[in-house]
Amino acid sequence: MNKLVFIFAEGFKNVWRHKSSAVSSIFSIYLTLVVSGSLLIVSQNTSKLIEYLRDKYKIEVFFKDGVTDKRVSELVNDFKLINGVRSITIISKNDAEKIFKSQFGDDILSLLGYNPLPISCVINLKNDWPAKLDIKPIISDIKKYREVDEVNHQGKLISRIENYYDKFLKVMVAVVSITFIIAIFIISNTVRLTIFSKKELIKSLQLIGATKWFIKGPFILEGIIHGVIASILAVYSLVALLRFSKYLIYDLTKFGILYDQILTVQVLLAISILVGFIGSNRAISRFLK
Amino acid sequence: MINIDNVSYSYSKGGGVSNINLNIDDGEFIFMIGPTGSGKTTILRLIYMDLFPKAGTVSIDKYDSQTIKRRKIPYVRRKIGVIFQNYHLLEDRNLFENIALPLHVLGYDKDEIIDLVNESIDEIGLNGKESHYPYELSGGEQQRACVARALIKDPDIILADEPTGNLDPVASFELIKLFEEISKQGTSVLMASHNYNLIKGRGHRIVEMQNGSIRQ
Repeated sequence: MNKLVFIFAEGFKNVWRHKSSAVSSIFSIYLTLVVSGSLLIVSQNTSKLIEYLRDKYKIEVFFKDGVTDKRVSELVNDFKLINGVRSITIISKNDAEKIFKSQFGDDILSLLGYNPLPISCVINLKNDWPAKLDIKPIISDIKKYREVDEVNHQGKLISRIENYYDKFLKVMVAVVSITFIIAIFIISNTVRLTIFSKKELIKSLQLIGATKWFIKGPFILEGIIHGVIASILAVYSLVALLRFSKYLIYDLTKFGILYDQILTVQVLLAISILVGFIGSNRAISRFLK
Repeated sequence: MINIDNVSYSYSKGGGVSNINLNIDDGEFIFMIGPTGSGKTTILRLIYMDLFPKAGTVSIDKYDSQTIKRRKIPYVRRKIGVIFQNYHLLEDRNLFENIALPLHVLGYDKDEIIDLVNESIDEIGLNGKESHYPYELSGGEQQRACVARALIKDPDIILADEPTGNLDPVASFELIKLFEEISKQGTSVLMASHNYNLIKGRGHRIVEMQNGSIRQ
């Protein structure tokens, strides 16, 4: 307990004694967090958008003539087991007749004297798929059944939307990773300056018999404090930016920005602590080698 | 208590020690003399495990240089107090904070630290200078502060590397007397010095170093 008090006191003193160099470190983490936070909010909204679009994805399956209602029910139960399928609606011959009438205004029975429309079903796909949704395996699984006559889907549109989403996820990961690495290097260099000015203290602590973690503690804490300060600034900046842009974007696009404030704060805080810890630990560990 | 058994060490740029054999018993006061570069500091660094022998073994209590794990080295150093010629006091901390540092490492609580440090400052005769920074103390006072810092954790041995190098003759003799007191209380002292006049006739064991070897 007393050791912890000492480590905390030293860590806070380090931040205060090296205010000027801390500014560059805090600013670099702040930029990382603003970029990461913006991307997080964009990704939250993109996820909502992709869920909305995926809600519209439909696969229509037409069954051959002569397939009984009972067999259709069995097939639909099989389809429900296919990975990526969310729900299925069966359209019986009578339902198809009603749909025809509502869309074309004519009664097909009175026109032809019989109902030529096949039994079909509409498959809705999962909308909360974490990555790119590929419908080809779903289609090929459905086509394996000999009772299936025809499968209609918006394959090209779906794959285009999914490809864009996939690219977006990759770019987001790349940008966050790059800013993350840059921030780690900057923190590492800032803490290295502190270490350099504390060479005598480190040497004394080593000679006295301080363990590695006792020596590292204040420097790691210093990095984490930089991170936490930066995350507070980043959260306020993002909230201010969102409040300002929310109405502007809605006026322009009628699209409301959605974001989970608690999740955003938690993610930014976690990133800042992680960046602070890795950056400072890297610097002090290299020094103690 | 400390056993140096046939130890050799060489630096990449030359120099070092070869075939050193030395035993230090509890409460023993040993002077290690020899010219600059004769290997005195190397022996001290081998004892506090800042260097590891290329041959032979240094044993301190249950630890020895051949088998000790890196993470255990701090525990060996807690048994050793090291004093340097250039004091190595922390310039940004006052006398009280400098002496208290080892107690923080050992996890003492605040009240114990206050009591022990005040007692220690009293023993070295620096009362009233608790809040003085090292640059506000004389060389002799700084060296006494170093002795207090080394002693406060109650070590088994004091290693002093040319501790009188920056002191005038009066302060040097006072320091020797202080070491003799420490030794009488059961703490071993190994003091390296090139100043033979300082120690002759005091009745302690003398180890003479020359070109990296001991000349008995």
